Order: sequence, then structure tokens, then C-alpha cells
Amino acid sequence: MNNSGNTSSRRLYKRYRAEKRFKSLCILALCLAVAFLVTFFATLISKGYSAFRQAELRVEISFTEQSRQMPLAAVGDEVRYLVSRGWLRKVPRMLKENPELMDTTQKYWIVAEAEVDQYLKGKANKLRPKQQEVLKRLEAEGRTRLAFNTYFFLNGDSKIPEIAGIKSALIGSVYVLFLTLLFSFPVGVMTAVYLEEFAPDNRFTQAIEVNINNLAAIPSILYGLLGLAIFINTFGVPRSSALAGGLTLGLMTLPVIIITTRAAIRAVPDSIREAALGVGASRWQMVIHHVLPLSFPGILTGTIIGLAQAMGETAPLLIVGMMAFIPDIPGSFTQAATVLPAQIYTWSSSSLRAFESRTAAAILVLLVLLLLMNFLAVYLRQKFQRKW
Amino acid sequence: MSTQYLILFFFCGLVPLAVMAYFLGRRKGRIFKEEGRLSFLSQIDQFGWYALTWMILPALGVFVLAFLLHILGIISVPAVILLFGALTVALAGLAQALHSISPGLRARQKLEKVIYFFLFLAAVISILTTLGIVLSVIFEAIKFFQVVSVWEFISGTQWSPDTAFLQGAERAGEEAAKPQFGAVPIFAGTFMITFIAMCVAIPVGLLSAIYMSEYAGDKVRAVAKPLLEILAGIPTVVYGFFAAITVSPLVVRLAESVGLEADYTNALAPGLVMGIMIIPFISSLSDDVIRAIPQSLREGSYALGLTTSETIKQVLLPAALPGIVSAFLLAVSRALGETMIVVMAAGLRPNLTMNPLEGMTTVTVRIVDALTGDLAFDSLETLSAFALGLTLLLITLILNLISTIVIRKFKQKYE
Amino acid sequence: MKTMLRIILGALVVFCLGMGPAQAREQVKIVGSSTVYPFSAYVAEELGATTRYPTPVVEATGSGGGMKLFSEGPGMDTPDISNASRRMKKSEYERCQKNGVEEVIEVMFGYDGIALAQNVENPPLHLSLKDITLAVAREVPQGGELVENPYKYWDEINPDLAHREILIYGPPTTSGTRDAFEELVMEAATEEIEAYNGEYTQIRSDGVYVPSGENDNLIVQRLTKDQDALGIFGYSYLDENRDRIQAAFIQGVQPEPETITSGEYPVSRSLYFYVKVAHLDKVPGMQEYVDLFISEKMIGEFGYLKGIGLIALPKEKRDEIREKVEQRDLLALEDLS
Repeated sequence: MNNSGNTSSRRLYKRYRAEKRFKSLCILALCLAVAFLVTFFATLISKGYSAFRQAELRVEISFTEQSRQMPLAAVGDEVRYLVSRGWLRKVPRMLKENPELMDTTQKYWIVAEAEVDQYLKGKANKLRPKQQEVLKRLEAEGRTRLAFNTYFFLNGDSKIPEIAGIKSALIGSVYVLFLTLLFSFPVGVMTAVYLEEFAPDNRFTQAIEVNINNLAAIPSILYGLLGLAIFINTFGVPRSSALAGGLTLGLMTLPVIIITTRAAIRAVPDSIREAALGVGASRWQMVIHHVLPLSFPGILTGTIIGLAQAMGETAPLLIVGMMAFIPDIPGSFTQAATVLPAQIYTWSSSSLRAFESRTAAAILVLLVLLLLMNFLAVYLRQKFQRKW
Repeated sequence: MSTQYLILFFFCGLVPLAVMAYFLGRRKGRIFKEEGRLSFLSQIDQFGWYALTWMILPALGVFVLAFLLHILGIISVPAVILLFGALTVALAGLAQALHSISPGLRARQKLEKVIYFFLFLAAVISILTTLGIVLSVIFEAIKFFQVVSVWEFISGTQWSPDTAFLQGAERAGEEAAKPQFGAVPIFAGTFMITFIAMCVAIPVGLLSAIYMSEYAGDKVRAVAKPLLEILAGIPTVVYGFFAAITVSPLVVRLAESVGLEADYTNALAPGLVMGIMIIPFISSLSDDVIRAIPQSLREGSYALGLTTSETIKQVLLPAALPGIVSAFLLAVSRALGETMIVVMAAGLRPNLTMNPLEGMTTVTVRIVDALTGDLAFDSLETLSAFALGLTLLLITLILNLISTIVIRKFKQKYE
Repeated sequence: MKTMLRIILGALVVFCLGMGPAQAREQVKIVGSSTVYPFSAYVAEELGATTRYPTPVVEATGSGGGMKLFSEGPGMDTPDISNASRRMKKSEYERCQKNGVEEVIEVMFGYDGIALAQNVENPPLHLSLKDITLAVAREVPQGGELVENPYKYWDEINPDLAHREILIYGPPTTSGTRDAFEELVMEAATEEIEAYNGEYTQIRSDGVYVPSGENDNLIVQRLTKDQDALGIFGYSYLDENRDRIQAAFIQGVQPEPETITSGEYPVSRSLYFYVKVAHLDKVPGMQEYVDLFISEKMIGEFGYLKGIGLIALPKEKRDEIREKVEQRDLLALEDLS
């Protein structure tokens, strides 16, 4: 008796040990995932935060006839290659717009060359010792500073890293998302309404249902091939335009919206439908007056999540030609545009080292936007969630 | 005149017409009402919509028809004629509609028929999308398979398209060796990276799901679940940057410290990062499945004296297995088709090896590389991108099909 | 319902407005080689920043992809300029003619050297074209027969070289740099080796030659770690990373702007862009872009493009090209060898 009690308690002990082991394994798994998230953000922030500040030098600009011809002549020999050429080349234009500047010298804080920027941030750079000496002197005279990098937000892409920014990419993203929404939201909701409320239960409907699940699983790059072959080559949509990107992403987002909308519609209890039908509404009136308004928060949440996905997508856009050098803000949907992830990709493959921190900074901006969208979705879900 | 102007004028002409049509229709309805002739069959608003629909639909029809004819290359109607034609048709439609509006008209029924039709059309778009994807790869793929046999493509172990380039460059000699397009090394790389990803994602994802659904309190769950979902929301290009800049060098250094040699384009780094990307995919799907198991099963198991882990392993997991398996299959198809991570972090070298520290290439990398490289457009290697795309499409479809079947066949019904 | 309708109407109006002004294309569209892309984009940006014209759109589609789009037809929806890191091919020219792109100006604006680079700390490396070819070819002659390349160390090829493992990171088959490498190194060397019986350009795939992306920072990292490895780069990339990698001597010459311009350095190629004449007077800013590109300010010996790695043409050639553009000298089939 005693003996068997011993065995059973030993077995019990073992079982509890196994239980504990399993539980800690589960906790470990969760911690691992969270730990990765933390390192991920830590790495990106540590790589990217420095790009939000930009080195500037206090420099005298002499506006002369010579500097109108040769902008580089506007600054002294010593600092000529320390300030950004991207700023200097605007000198002729400044003179044209403000003729009274002619033959004067003005002091400006001018954005510094990328290597100077690296130097002042204490990173590897290719400045020659002589240039470093000049910089040290300027530093001592208080003629250098790290200011908030407004260029990064107010400029488009540039081959000159210190004045490259994300503005055109951001606006391009907005254009593309707008088109994605314009296309995928109505079509997605209509499909979902059809499948949930109207479709007869036949082979064709089942085929559509299976097909939608398939679409959700098809790799995004194949959507790119579709965009290239159908929209660009067959329909004649201009290459690299927001329209081409928006339509391609719209098709890609469609299954997400359909699936979430169906779930939201299904969550509306049948009693409401029956009540509507009972007072003599037609099916369509029932849908438009009762089912859709009630499921709208769910549909909205799904749409935002789908759009967030579309906003981060890169691969299909690579195929439809949005991986281009497009520093100007697109004026219309058919003009060439680029999007934020595409910008990140082009910068990340640039050979100039100064672009690395800019890539990380652009990523941070993208992530903040995406997180905001996701929070909005969660907030809407929680605010309007209804228990029937 | 370009298409854009055409569309602009079309809308500019049509929108005011539509507004007009609506009010005309409504006015007619109101007159009926004032005269007391309006039956219960329709309301005045519906007359407005009726008139509007009958105006817009024919005009749109004309446009779509002209567009189709143009695309198919049968006939291109000059834009101006088309524009006026469409607007004339619109006006004719409007006149007809106004004419037919009578107190006894069943405007609502007719409207709803049109609405059903449009809803149906929307549903058909999803089918058209699939069709479009298939069509967009299949023609070029067929061109490719006319030169390279299907069997050679799926069973060859040598991928060396060198001479395809030369043929494009018109420098291939008579005796130049035939380019070899054996896709096995490319698929090997794809599966290797997918395998690594699954090795990360499955245990971590599944165990986190189990923890969240069975152990964690509501508070932990409320924090952990959205945190994991953030992982799913991170764009792949960001993961790619992370894999190339941070993880790859780390893997190389780690390998060096234990005396192994690793390529900077090793398969391990993109695999690991891809695995992390897929964690939330698996965890949220499994979480849903596990939570869908009725409480009575758990209670029955606890009543027999099983511990939580025993309940999970012996009761819950078997019950949830079909759902979990289908989640895995979906995750696999996701990993196979993932592009940006491998484009940025994996190698370009078709390499048939079991060593994840060596550089390998994947299907998606080859597609991107062939379509954005310096190749001539009709070279075999460019065409091979479409053949690879077609294969990828087939694999995803098959995986999805299996997962649907698994769910249908083995899903237990709980009452 | 009413609000939804209003939203849809509003969206449509915005959509139409977006469509509206797009018709007259005011941007120059440029496609083509990824090697020329940085130069082209630089010029485009300069044009956008210093003139009233909008910045041209430059897309890196690869030389072949660019040619395909370029030769699609004369319509305004096709690109205006196609960049190429190789000359237009006969088939591409014929396709242009067939599709109605009859007038094309060819502009050769500079050179790009292809460097074989190694870790900066290594002793200088002297290689001949033959050494390199024997190191990377799939088959090599042994006793008059071609056999699978057995070489693993450099000194097996040439006893004068150090006992060092052969490991070369180079461009993939899809790259124009690889095409140029095969032409300039392998074809040149194998022509003179009896056993090859003509030109031979197959590269081994047993892991000694590792195909890698061209602008891959990872290769530089690899070279800084692995002192055995060599990398094949465009000159501009070498220039950017001088502190970490150095170029090998090929036939006794190191790639330098002077040696490449003079043609002393054997592994260099010309860079081109092709201009669609039909668009030249229709697209605002296109003529200005071309003029700016070939101006002394850009491609001259002290031009801006030199700063990002372009190697200038000799003075006479530059003048010749400016003359050619001004005269609108058209490309003819006979020009293409």
C-alpha cells in the first residue's frame, strides 16, 4: 500500500514536472517571439535614428556673377566640398528669384555633405585628414550643428544622399492606397454581400468560394506578373503609374476584404434579417438598411488591415515598374509614382553607405504608419464590437 | 485624344446627366403622388433611381463594348465618336425610362434585378483574377516549354543558362552547349529556406498559440496577441533589410566562431527571418482552432485527472489537428512565394546542397532577377521566369487544395 | 445610404481630376540598364533641380527590358530614352524598325571598367586574361582535350601565382556585367587557346564562381573577411569602397580612369543611351536632358558623373558625340556589328 502510494506520488510528481516543463516551453516560445520583436525594433531604431538629424555648416555664400555660372564658386575653397552640392546648385535660381542678393555675401546654415554628416555623427567616413582638420576648426568655432532633418520629409528621392527624402514616396503611397481602396472596397463588399446574402447554393458559388481562398494564398509576385501582362500590356495602363500599382494591389487586397466582410456579415444575427423581411422589406432593403450598417465596423476593420498589407507590399510593384527614380510628386494617377516600400528597397540596394541609415529611417516611418493603421483597426473593432 | 481624356469627358458628361435623370424621375413620381395615383408598388425615390439606372447602363455598355473591341484588336472606334455615341445612347435610355415611368411600374423590382446583376459581376471578378494570373504566365511559359521539355525542367539538376544569354547576344557559336534549365536546384533552395522557416515558425507559433489559449489569463492574452500580430504587419521589404543587414552577418560570425564557413548569402538568415514572419500566421490560426474546441472536451479530460499539458497533448491537439495542418500548409505556401526577404538576403546561385550555410537561390529570386536583369526580352532565361511562376502557382494551388480537403474531411462537428 | 453615395460621388470626382491633366505627358521617361541608372538618375535630378522642367523618370529595367519597352512603338506611352550597358543588338534594332521606331540616335557617353577586386590588405595581385579565364571556365584544355575545370588554387593555373584558393564572386547570368566579362575576358583569352576551337564563354558552376548581385554590399563584406576571395565589380563600385577593397592588375594594368579611357585596361565597356527622335520635339525637357547629359559639366573629365564613378571619353570623342546629337545622326543597321 505504502509502496504503491509511493509509486503513484512519484508518477504524479513526474507528471507535474512534465506539466511544468511544457508550460515553460510554451512561455519560452512566446517570449522568443516577443524578444525578436524587441531586437528587431531596437536594431532599426539604432540604425535609423541618426538619419533624423542632419549635419549643417554655417557658411558664407557670396552671390556673384561667377557663382551664378558656377554654383560651386559661391563658397570658399576650404568648405567647397564639405557642403552639399544639392544646396549649392540652387544658387542660380535664388539669384534669379531675388536679384537684390547679387554682389552680397550672406551667412546660411547649409546642409553638409554626406561624408561630413557621417563624420560629425562619429561614423566611418572617407574625409581626407585635411578636410577633417577644417571640420574640427569649424566645430570649435561653433559653425557645425546637427539639426532636425527636414529634408528627409520635405524632399523627394535624390542621388545625393544628404538631401534625399521620402516625400514623393509617401505621397505616391497615398495615391496607390487610395486607388486600391477605390477598387477593392466596393468590389470586395459587393462580392461578400452576394456570397452571403444572395448566392444560390450551387457549384458556381462553391467554385467562387474556393477560388477566393486560393487567391488569398497566391504569392504576391504573381499578382505583379498579372499586373504587367493584363493592366500594362493589355489595357495600356501607363507603366510605373500609381494606377498600375493601385489596381494590382487592389486585386491582391480583394480576398482579404471579401473574407473579413463575409465574417462581419455572418456575425449579424439572423433574427435581424427575419425581422426586416417580416415587415415586408425586400432582400436588398434588408441588406442595405440593416445588415450592412450593422456589420460596417467589422468591414472597416478588415479593410484597414487589408490596406495596411497593401501599403507594405513591394514584390508586385517591382514587376509593374514602380522601382524607379521618381523624385517628383506625381501630379495624377497616370504619372509615374513610387511608394515607400519601393523607396526603401532602392535605397537599401544603393552602394552609398550614407543611404543605410536613411533606409532604416524610412523603414521607421513606414512602420509607424502601419502601426497607426493597425491600432486604428483594433480600436474600431473594440469600440464598435457588439455582442448579440 | 487619349483614354484619360475620354474617361474624363465621359464622367463629366455623365455625372450631370445622372443627377438630372434622378431628379426627373423623382419629379414624375412626385406628380403621381400629388395626383394620388401612386400605388404601393414603388416610392418616388425609386423612380429617380430607375431613370438614372436606365440612363447609365446603356452608356456604360457601349463603353465596355468599345473597350473590349479595342483590346481584342477587332476595331478601334475613334474617341470622339465613341463619346458622342455613348452620350446619345444615355439620353435615349433616359427618354425611354421617363416614358415608361407610370404609377403601376414596379421600379423597385427592376432596380433590384440590376443590383443583383452587379453583385454577381463583382463576385465574378475574383474568378477573372485567377484566370488573369494563369493567363499572364501561361503563354510565355508555353514558349519556354517548347524549347525546354517539361521533364528536363522538373528533373534536371543543372541550372546554367549561360548560353541562353549568348544566344540573346547573338554570339553563340554553332557548337555552343545547350543552356540547361534543370529547376531542381532552384526548388531545392526554395524548399530549404521554407523548411528552415517552418522549423522556426511551427514550434514557436504553435506553442505560443497553446499558451495563449490554454494557460494565459485574459490580461496576458490581450497584450501578447496584438504584439504577435505586429509581426504579421511588418512589410516583407523591412524583414529583407533586417535579414541582409543584421541577421546574415550574425550568422556568418556565429558560424565562424564554431569553425564553420558561411556565405553572406546563406540560406539560414532569410529562412530564420521568414520563420519569424510566419509565426503570427500559425499562432493566430492555431489559436482560433484550439479555442473553437468545445469546453466540454477540456472539462471531460480534467475530470479524468489529466494535467493541462496532458489535456493539450492528448485531447486538444488531436481534435485541432486538421485545422492546424491546414494552417501549416497555408504557411508553407506563404513561405514558398515570399519574395522580398529572399531577393534581399538569399543568394543568386542555383545550388543543390543540404548545407544551409551556403548560398542558395529560390524561385521568386529567379523570377525577379530574370525580369529586372539586363537580359534580352526574348531570351530563354526571361521566359524561364514565367515557367517558374507557373510552377509556383501550381504548387500553391495544390497546397491550398489539400488544406481545403483536410479541413472538409477531418473537421469534427461539435454540437 | 445618402452619405455613402456622397462619398462615392466625391471619390469619383477626385478620380476624374486625377485622370485629367495626365494626358500631355510632361515628364521624360527613361528605362534601361541598371549600370547606367545611377548616372542617368543623377542627370535627371540635376535637370529637375536646376530647370523648370519636371524631373525625368528613370527606371532600372535592365538593358534588355529597356530595349523591349523602347522598341514597342513610336507612341507617347513608350519610353523616350533607353539606357544600355551594351550596344543595341541587331534583333533589337530590327524590332524598332518593325514597330515604327525608325529614328534612333545612339549616344555613347562613357566607359565603365570591370574590376577584379580583393581585400585591401592583400599583396597586389597580377593576373592575365588567360589566368582569369582558366580559373572560371567550365572546361579547360589539358593535353589538347577539354576537361572539367579541376583548378582549385591559383598556382595550379600559373606557377607564378601564390598558393591561394580560387573563389570569385561575380555577376549572375542575368547581368550585363557578366555578358561584358565573358566577352572581354573569356572570349579574348579563349580565342588564342587552341583547344577551345574558337570562343568559349561557359562559366563553371561548382561553387568556385559564386553569382552574386552587382551592387551587393555583402560581397564587399565578404571580401573584407575572406582574403582569398575576389569580386567582379563595376568600376564605380570599386571607387566607392576604396578603403576596403583594391583592384587586381590585369595584364599589368590597374583600372584607373586614365588607363580605362586610354584603353590600356583591357576589361572595360562602353555605356550607351538611345534616343527616340520622334519624341525629341514633343516631350518637353527631353532635348535639354540629352544636352545636359552630354555636356562637359556631366561627362567631362571633371564632370559630376566622374564623382559617381563614370569614366570619361577622350576629348575628341566627347565633341564627336555632341556633334552627332546636334546633327541628329541616326543609327543605321550597318553601324551595329
